[in-house]
Amino acid sequence: MKDVDLSPDFARVLNFVGVMAMIAILLGAYAYQFSYRDVPCTLCLLQRVAMLAVATGAAMNLMLGPSPRYYGVCLVSALFGIGISIRQSLLHINPFFDTKTGEPTLEATANPPFGESVMGLNLYVWGVVIFAVVILAAAVMLFFQDQFKPARREPKWLGRLAVVGVAALLVVAALETLTTFLECGLGDCPNNGGWTWWIAS
Amino acid sequence: MMTLTFGLLTISGLLLLLRRGATPWGWALVLAALALGVVIFAHDVDFSSNLGLQL
Repeated sequence: MKDVDLSPDFARVLNFVGVMAMIAILLGAYAYQFSYRDVPCTLCLLQRVAMLAVATGAAMNLMLGPSPRYYGVCLVSALFGIGISIRQSLLHINPFFDTKTGEPTLEATANPPFGESVMGLNLYVWGVVIFAVVILAAAVMLFFQDQFKPARREPKWLGRLAVVGVAALLVVAALETLTTFLECGLGDCPNNGGWTWWIAS
Repeated sequence: MMTLTFGLLTISGLLLLLRRGATPWGWALVLAALALGVVIFAHDVDFSSNLGLQL
């Protein structure tokens, strides 16, 4: 039986889709942040770090050609992200933890979720789903070994596509750095929101 | 710390855009950003109290 396989060019196009999906999610988080005037917490920002790192791994596959090492970057980043998302979900499931004070309590509390829900799920629960999908997708991509063979000459359109994908990623990364600096400065970030001058004005 | 983490990822993206050839700096910076993320996470968790209670 002939193996079903994936050409390096097609694998790069799939990675472009992955980069764009991660960028769309990060921009969606911005839209949520500014429409609800909700300043992201430390764990929320760490999930964004993980999403940006996943996108960077996919962008390496896109720009430099597919490599198991770059899929490894995606997998490690997604594992980090899912760990943070599960931790934050557990904080809000546990009734013996007061999210207002950030302290454990012996009395069961209502323990409200952090922020508004989107399509029925809170953002950190979406985080668990998204990172699980990334892990599955990266693992499935690793089944196809033909993508790692040296590619023939790169088509011009693919080179342009790679530059567009990486440039878009760079813009979002720079934007995240700037807004995080405005929120946190160079020190620790405030937990449980807290208005800052740049979002309250 | 968080700003630095995003900054590392931005530099990694910039290196990727500027240098088409494979460079170990790109993925090393991503891993450094994740390591910094783990440090921030560990700093954020109060291991002496609430983690024990949750588990």
